[in-house]
Amino acid sequence: MEATPIDNTFEDPGQRAPLVLNHNDFTSVTTDICRASESPRPPRAWYIAFAISAALASLFFLLIFYLFITGVGIWGNHSPTMWGFPIVNFVFWIGIGHAGTLISAILFLFRQKWRTAINRFAEAMTIFAVVCAGTFPVIHVGRVWVVYWLFPIPNQMELWPQFRSPLLWDVFAVSTYFTVSLLFWYVGMIPDLATFRDRAATKTRAIIYGLLALGWTGSNRHWHRYERAYLLLAALATPLVLSVHSVVSFDFAVAQLPGWHSTIFPPYFVAGAIFGGFAMVVTLAVPSRQLWGLKDFITMRHLENMNKIILLTGSIVGYAYVSEFFIAWYSGATYEGFAFINRAFGQHAWAYWLMLFCNVVAPQLFWFKRFRRSIPVMYFVVMCVNVGMWFERFVIVISLEQDFLPSSWGYFAPTWVDLMMLVGSMGLFLMLFLLFIRYLPVIAMAELKAVMPQADPHTSGEHDTPAGQNREVV
Amino acid sequence: MPSVSKRRASGQAYWRSLDELSRKTHFGDALGDEFLGGVMESMNALERRHFLKIMGASLAFAGLAGCRRWPEEKIVPYSRRPAGRTPGTPVQYATGMELGGLGLGLLVTSVDGRPIKVEGNPEHPSSLGASGPFAQAAILDLYDPDRARQGRHGRTEASWDDFDTWLGANLETISADGGAGLRVLCEATSSPSMLAMRERLQRTFPSMVWHEYESVSDDNERIGTRMAFGRPLLANMDLSQSRVIVSLGADFLDRPITSLGCIRGFADSRRLDGAHPEMSRLYAFEGMLSLTGANADHRVTVRPSDITTLAARLAMGVLPEPPVSVRTLAARSIDSSLSEEDLGRILAMVISDLQTHRGRGVIAAGLTQPPEVHLLAHLMNAAIGAVGNTVTYVPVPDHKGHVHSLTSLVGAMGEGNVETLVIIGGNPVYDAPTDLHFADTLRNVGRTIRLSEYDDETAAQCSWFLPRAHLLEAWGDVRANDGTITVCQPLIQPLFDGRSAIELLAALSKDEPRSGEQIVQRTFADTTEERFSEASWHQALHDGVVPQSASTVKRPSVDLADAERHLGRFVDARGSAAASDTELLFVADSKLYDGRFANNGWQQELPDPLTKLTWDNALLLGIGRAKELGVDTGDVVSVQVDGRSLELPVLLMPGQHDKCAVVALGYGRRFKGRVCAGAGTDGGALRTTGSFFTARGVQITRTGKSYPLAVTQDHHAIDVRGVAGKGQQDRLGAIFREASLDEFREHPDFAAHRTHVLHQLSPYSEDNLKGAEHRWAMSIDLGACVGCNGCVAACHAENNIPIVGKDQVLRGREMHWIRVDRYFSFARDDNGYDPTQLQSVALQPMPCQMCENAPCETVCPVGATMHDADGLNVMVYNRCVGTRYCSNNCPYKVRRFNFYDYWKRKPHREQPGKLLQVEREYYERPQAGADELRQMQFNPEVSVRMRGVMEKCTFCTQRIEAAKIKTKNQWVQDGGNEQGTPPTIADGTIRTACEEACPARAITFGDLNDPNSRVAQLHEDQRSYSVLEELNPKTRVKYLAKVRNPIESGGHDHPIRHGDT
Repeated sequence: MEATPIDNTFEDPGQRAPLVLNHNDFTSVTTDICRASESPRPPRAWYIAFAISAALASLFFLLIFYLFITGVGIWGNHSPTMWGFPIVNFVFWIGIGHAGTLISAILFLFRQKWRTAINRFAEAMTIFAVVCAGTFPVIHVGRVWVVYWLFPIPNQMELWPQFRSPLLWDVFAVSTYFTVSLLFWYVGMIPDLATFRDRAATKTRAIIYGLLALGWTGSNRHWHRYERAYLLLAALATPLVLSVHSVVSFDFAVAQLPGWHSTIFPPYFVAGAIFGGFAMVVTLAVPSRQLWGLKDFITMRHLENMNKIILLTGSIVGYAYVSEFFIAWYSGATYEGFAFINRAFGQHAWAYWLMLFCNVVAPQLFWFKRFRRSIPVMYFVVMCVNVGMWFERFVIVISLEQDFLPSSWGYFAPTWVDLMMLVGSMGLFLMLFLLFIRYLPVIAMAELKAVMPQADPHTSGEHDTPAGQNREVV
Repeated sequence: MPSVSKRRASGQAYWRSLDELSRKTHFGDALGDEFLGGVMESMNALERRHFLKIMGASLAFAGLAGCRRWPEEKIVPYSRRPAGRTPGTPVQYATGMELGGLGLGLLVTSVDGRPIKVEGNPEHPSSLGASGPFAQAAILDLYDPDRARQGRHGRTEASWDDFDTWLGANLETISADGGAGLRVLCEATSSPSMLAMRERLQRTFPSMVWHEYESVSDDNERIGTRMAFGRPLLANMDLSQSRVIVSLGADFLDRPITSLGCIRGFADSRRLDGAHPEMSRLYAFEGMLSLTGANADHRVTVRPSDITTLAARLAMGVLPEPPVSVRTLAARSIDSSLSEEDLGRILAMVISDLQTHRGRGVIAAGLTQPPEVHLLAHLMNAAIGAVGNTVTYVPVPDHKGHVHSLTSLVGAMGEGNVETLVIIGGNPVYDAPTDLHFADTLRNVGRTIRLSEYDDETAAQCSWFLPRAHLLEAWGDVRANDGTITVCQPLIQPLFDGRSAIELLAALSKDEPRSGEQIVQRTFADTTEERFSEASWHQALHDGVVPQSASTVKRPSVDLADAERHLGRFVDARGSAAASDTELLFVADSKLYDGRFANNGWQQELPDPLTKLTWDNALLLGIGRAKELGVDTGDVVSVQVDGRSLELPVLLMPGQHDKCAVVALGYGRRFKGRVCAGAGTDGGALRTTGSFFTARGVQITRTGKSYPLAVTQDHHAIDVRGVAGKGQQDRLGAIFREASLDEFREHPDFAAHRTHVLHQLSPYSEDNLKGAEHRWAMSIDLGACVGCNGCVAACHAENNIPIVGKDQVLRGREMHWIRVDRYFSFARDDNGYDPTQLQSVALQPMPCQMCENAPCETVCPVGATMHDADGLNVMVYNRCVGTRYCSNNCPYKVRRFNFYDYWKRKPHREQPGKLLQVEREYYERPQAGADELRQMQFNPEVSVRMRGVMEKCTFCTQRIEAAKIKTKNQWVQDGGNEQGTPPTIADGTIRTACEEACPARAITFGDLNDPNSRVAQLHEDQRSYSVLEELNPKTRVKYLAKVRNPIESGGHDHPIRHGDT
């Protein structure tokens, strides 16, 4: 099989661009994707990455231990900035998690077939991001041993949570989101787990994947039930894409703090979350396809599509920034007006301009097809977005520094623990992701096969070669 | 081998080393004394038993000994209940304290034998019920774990009994030649018993010499009155009667004892009652920005040394026949913030004001001003008819002054004429002028006996160190500034075997009786003479004041000729100061005084009223000067005076003269206390006998280093050209509402129009508080409040508020439930606000506003903060999870969070332990060592909060509940029942800690449901407004807008800005 590079980013109005390149058939798809898990030793790069991320994750857990025995004073939080890095990190990770659901649910319902190559690990990314995100609000509280009081658990004190608090809504929103995402991910993975089971070379693999595959045989009835369940879960997950980050934004919007108290927050947060989430998918997809040799499946077209979404959502976010300023001025409210002037020219102005550059300026490169398809440019932009989206949350949370009464104004400075916990949470995220790409099917094989030309029995004669190469013939 | 079988009988024996096996003696010694030296030994078993014995069976120190999650309770039950005592019921006793030779009457609350809270004694003329931070601090000092627990002779520990034995053996030698080699160096005192004991000692040792020294000295005042009246007198101002007050560098609103009365009088003179409101006018001429200056209606910044000239110019206008020397003096130039013309205009205003209000004016001179300024002030006071009206005089014992006294002592020591030196109180090794080399000279003295509460700098240089009983542990008596005597009774047995100064003097003079109680009673009998009886003694103890003991000199007459002589000499001696001369003022710290409160965490953490600095002192510099030097707050400069140099961090102070630098005394203690070690820099290192109050010719150079200063309010206050500073200035008019008296007369409801509040049309029913039995509320009169910090200190003491330490204050985690916000208001020019043009200072106490529509309540996910039945916004510590959302949503930022277990974390200056932010003990069980002592101080009625919970002002809910219970009990006894009228709590029964401590009576607490209550009426006052009312929080705390009384000049910009600017 020749490794002729094929450009599937070229738009041919006559036909749909191929989603799998290079003479792949069902067998080669299975073999190529299973290789990542079945090869006795993963590449050296995997080991290095795993060692680093596992070390950082361990640091994260050590710091959590230190936190629990000492108190939240080890962070930079103070009065008036009672929320600092932990909440910034929480919102950041929760935002990352959004792309997964969007890809798996909304793009599924819209029959965007290109999602099949990336949905599995976008969903995995969602799960891991929500794990990181969920950690922060839990450890963030002053008395972590009573954090379960946030759940409406019947108790002898007959005390319920306070349902007017957005933090409580968060608890419901995030836990629902996590549950649905996890189910969705797992249900979607069952046929592929069965493939792993069937191909298992060792007894251990056979048992483990056998258990996970839940007795999948690939019968018609199984497929029927599976497709139904998947569709239903997609329908269930769709509102969550909008709801979770809307609810998270209520943490800020419902408070009366200048710079927080704003009705634009829900849509602005959702757009920002999708923006940041897609950036993270690209961040992970680029090295993964390199590492496991999946360039045939995660093609440049996939990356380009994601870059287009980044451009769109980035522009929505930029619009929100402008709109916030406009409203602050238009409302004539002294405190609101000051909050925004201060954001742009006050003590943390650097963070604001960094955010603006990363989130609004950098993605503008994606107006050019050349840049959308260039791995280095793309990587630069998505890294900018990753940084920018973190700083967006930072800038918002930091509005606490200077609120109503100037006597209590302060200056937030993180401690080393703050910084290390941020890095540590990234370590945890990457470690989980590396485990995932080593032990679970990275690409939804069953779904991918369904979008290959071979899956269409009526066109076998005409289309036994992939469409891309046909074009050369024409 | 019998020994072996013996060992077998009790199991296998192990030796801790071969030395133990061989029973080498030094191993055994080391075992018994594992913790050599240091504080560890101080709470060994024997002492603990002793400690318990002292506390008696009444001590139930458990409930407070909270541990991490579940309090461990140790209950020591009564075996026999003492008569007349109900366990757990607080009892108040009257006693007194002395500071700088002046007494203050106190009421001390004691619970089960533990004094826990100090209030002012309303019967006492200096207190009138108020108490300042120093009085509050007395409680914490009592339980200071760093207090000396053991006497010392040389390097060996010694008890008072050992001292008695030693004294018996050496008294012969000491008393040789009538005690010619004996000298006593004592802190300033006016205590009748001390003076009586001094006399007795003098009788025993006729050649003994008594010296008196105070680092914060009233020498200038004393000498000034001697110059004016021919004898030393203490001038007492009655500001309540005054209409015109002139301060010549005087900070009478920020002095330990006398300020309480001054603040009360000042506030009373400015109360706006009645149809035709009148108020006093305060002019301040000063170099630094003092609390008095901050409260002035007209303030002029003058170089400190030029105040002499300024006083002379005033005298030119005020005195009917000004002496020639005054004329000469007045001709000199004045370096002030005003042009010569404007200064002349304002002086003319002052003079005409003083003449208009004859007999109701008063002129006060500052402690750091030379005696001649005091002399001029007295002459002027006499001329304007103030003497006997607004100023009264009390005779005080004569001496040539503290500096003179100490200098002569050091001279004698240097010549070897001192064989025995007894140092009572004070701390001369730390605070004596440097050119005296006190510590070095002290080595010439063979026998040095030191009586002090701490084994401090001075004690370290003395051969005998004797622990002194704390003022709450000892019998004594004090004299107020009007001469009123208070008998001080102990609240608790001495915790560490201390004795009082009078007991030491009794022992020295071989006098009987030896016990403090008997000595004090004898003095009492001697002073009250025929009125003395057992009943009168008990009455005096009960009341805290001895009736008819005040002494006043009616209208002392001025000796003009003498005054002229003094002034003439002054004019000749001192030429005009060089125009470029920078002056350094040494001032008493508003919290540590002269350093004696340095080891008191409450005081260290109390923000300075104006700089808001905690845990350090700094060199205060004016804005212009700092700019010239290129330094900002936190930069370290080197200060050189007469070849001495000292590095100090700079703190920028608006309104300070550019040729004036200020350093507060009391910091940089070398005593290694838990709290004071490392706090600040000893400004006294630059102080000599010649420059005891003010050093001249000061050079300041920058060093390029920097030092973190823990201020509780940030520097945006000064950086008004920046975004934040401008934002602050822009909103100030709405937050702190003020008007001039003329404006107020025209628009008495001006406060309501400082912001534009939309009509509130709420879609929700907000009547959930209807039907409540009470509606507790507070009114804070900004017109009365001078920002003295009394409320902050009292709240700290009442509510078990932890001390967090400098590192935490730097992080903005101070825990004060009430704070005093300070805003500088600057003049505006074309480029915006100008930080060099200080217009006024706003001081605003800020407790929890107790919003009815509390923003904190809606956001708490677990309902840990909510309204109680009385409509109080309460914080349920047990329920708090610690999300801190409530604090974020609190527009007043009055909520405080326990980031650590502050109650057991040591207050640190820097982040401890490199990476980890706490020390080992933090993780260990807390009930050990010094903590036991600290826990005794806690108010048992108030929970000690653990880490991870939010806390805030409760309106002293424990006091409310106590009053409710008491009222209800009374009501039941009086035959009340549920069908009849419910019990009513009379207005004024409940007083919050801040209200009780406030010398200005600016804080009023009460029930809005009672339409006749003071607070209900004050809430209806036209000046009443609620801060941030545009957010519709419906606060229960309302402020009465401030009214200043400047002379209005038509068409001139008056300094009051409107909310809509």
